[in-house]
Amino acid sequence: MKKVISFKNVSKKYNLGLTRTSLPSVFSQWAKQIVRRDVNTSANNKQYWALRSVNFELEKGESLALVGPNGAGKSTILKLLAKITNPTSGIVEVNGQLSALIELGAGFHPDLTGRENIFLNGTILGLTYKEIQRRFDEIVNFSEVEEFIDTPVKRYSSGMTVRLGFAVASCIEPDILLVDEVLAVGDASFRQKCIERIKILLNNGTSLIFVSHDMGLVRAVCEKAIYIEHGEIQHVGISGEVIDLYNHVLEKKRIKKLAGAGDGTDTGDGGVEITKMEVFDSEGKQVHEIYGDRPIEIHIHYISYQDIGKANAIVLIYRSDGLPCCNMRTHLDQFPVALEKGRGVISIKLDPLQLFGGMYYATAWVMNAEDSDGIAHGATDLFEVKNRTLGRGAHIAVFEPKREWRHRIIPSDNPKERESDATRGNEC
Amino acid sequence: MLIPVQQFLKMRDLVWAWTVRTLRARYQQSALGWFWSIVQPVATVAIFAVVFTHIVPVDTGGVPYILFSYTAVVPWTLLSTSVIDMAVSLVQNMNLVSKIYFPREALPIATLLARLVDFCISFVLLVLLVIFYRIPIAPTGLLYLPLIITIQLALILGLGIGAAAMNIFYRDVDPLLKLVIQIWFYASPILYPVSFVPENWRWLYFLNPMAGIIAGYRDVLIYNQLPGDYLLPAGIISVLILVTGYWFFKRVEFQFADIV
Repeated sequence: MKKVISFKNVSKKYNLGLTRTSLPSVFSQWAKQIVRRDVNTSANNKQYWALRSVNFELEKGESLALVGPNGAGKSTILKLLAKITNPTSGIVEVNGQLSALIELGAGFHPDLTGRENIFLNGTILGLTYKEIQRRFDEIVNFSEVEEFIDTPVKRYSSGMTVRLGFAVASCIEPDILLVDEVLAVGDASFRQKCIERIKILLNNGTSLIFVSHDMGLVRAVCEKAIYIEHGEIQHVGISGEVIDLYNHVLEKKRIKKLAGAGDGTDTGDGGVEITKMEVFDSEGKQVHEIYGDRPIEIHIHYISYQDIGKANAIVLIYRSDGLPCCNMRTHLDQFPVALEKGRGVISIKLDPLQLFGGMYYATAWVMNAEDSDGIAHGATDLFEVKNRTLGRGAHIAVFEPKREWRHRIIPSDNPKERESDATRGNEC
Repeated sequence: MLIPVQQFLKMRDLVWAWTVRTLRARYQQSALGWFWSIVQPVATVAIFAVVFTHIVPVDTGGVPYILFSYTAVVPWTLLSTSVIDMAVSLVQNMNLVSKIYFPREALPIATLLARLVDFCISFVLLVLLVIFYRIPIAPTGLLYLPLIITIQLALILGLGIGAAAMNIFYRDVDPLLKLVIQIWFYASPILYPVSFVPENWRWLYFLNPMAGIIAGYRDVLIYNQLPGDYLLPAGIISVLILVTGYWFFKRVEFQFADIV
């Protein structure tokens, strides 16, 4: 297959200092350059590597998503592809006509009519008047602004503006299409229309590079994905696989944040600190995988810096997307907790959770005597609940109860009832 | 020299669309519209005429002072307005420049074209004035007119495109340019004739390309004579400025989006 895009060892460096030039700083920089003959050490010239040694290729008709947190380098890749900026080192090869759905309606002038803006925006994107003329009706139809085509764009709603922008940019039928987080605007039906339009382009042989934080959209549109962070490619693969990995990383980060109190840096304003939380199986072994049909025990290790006296403890279990699943409180269970100065472990033994397969985590709070304010907070690592219903995209249920299926056929002609033998018990 | 021309042909639709946009935007919601493009030079000339006809009379060689100064103010206005507009043309549209690729020179060029439309309107009035004052015109002199205009456009294009690129790096360029143009106004034969400059300093004076250009317009349009040798330095310097400006623009254009 023909390669339409290839990134070979591409790095991109930005000089952050250059954006804030004042006359004194310019002169002082020149002076430094003359005296010391080095610019790079100057505080005014902070450097930032937006991309480091990025390698990837895209073949004709392929669709590739770039996922990763803000500032990972996704937009820099798009800018390099669109030839808006040059790499600091490495080679960017692009074969074919490229169109970018990056800033929809950029270049629209509010005082010009929709019609005039179609021509203006089209020429900015590289079309000639003739080409625009040929596609004019198609653009207007797609944008659904026929009625207002001779009205100045400043009277358009923001949705109409975006629709018109998408219509112009997508009518080009380029060899390579760049889409950067533009579908977030507009209503659901328009979004659907845009996705369909993109899919038609893909079927016609256009290659796609897609940037979005909406993983559902990425899954719907792209075959392949690259997970990028800190300017480096972390993982390349089938989009579903990369999305799962990326979600997993996001979850870990969020939980780390939640567990901030437990990382030992917090001295515990309330005089108590949860130092760690652990999950044990029924044999007393610390685990990161549990089974939904087996009992577990959660341990909360704490340090109390003073005699607190009466207190309460709360343990919550969350699904990895943040859905609370279990809520256990000592004061509701009439379990007295009194904290003295020193270390201790509060533990809670749980019967089989019957949770659906997936990733979960537990958090704990130490509350004051009135149970009104938290005085310490901690969380476990993510743990995986395993059970028989494993599978991808596990977030479709919370519980997997013990169950027993039965099937009884009621015969219409035979009054004598017969119980089906096809009874299957599932010992969960 | 051929590559820029090919590139221009490629982007001519964009240049045209942007020119129309600039003009429409400028005169939208303005009752007098196009009329404004002649208000500025006419008002300037009216003030000059009062001062330099009645208060400090200037020897114009028998031509009414109004016509004398208007002949210079029309090309001068083209230069000053378009260079200032061109200098900010990229910075004002940074959201486009940093997001979408298109030939960057299209914006300053279209800005110049939009000002050229104003120039044409003012020029029509100039021709009407020449006819009104019954100034005799030699057709051979008129043959030089396209050359003079071309030299001026080369000068403006070089300055404007260079300033537009520089302005992205240092916004000081814009105010500095306005200051320079103000001084330049007095260094050019607009209020006074070239004969005011002592003969042995003329060579230095004509290193200012606008001196040669304005002298050229006057010779051809109101003095009924062919332009002198002064057009040569004006032409050479203007072309040098165009080449330098374009070269600088092309050299730094890939950095535009990184700076913003």
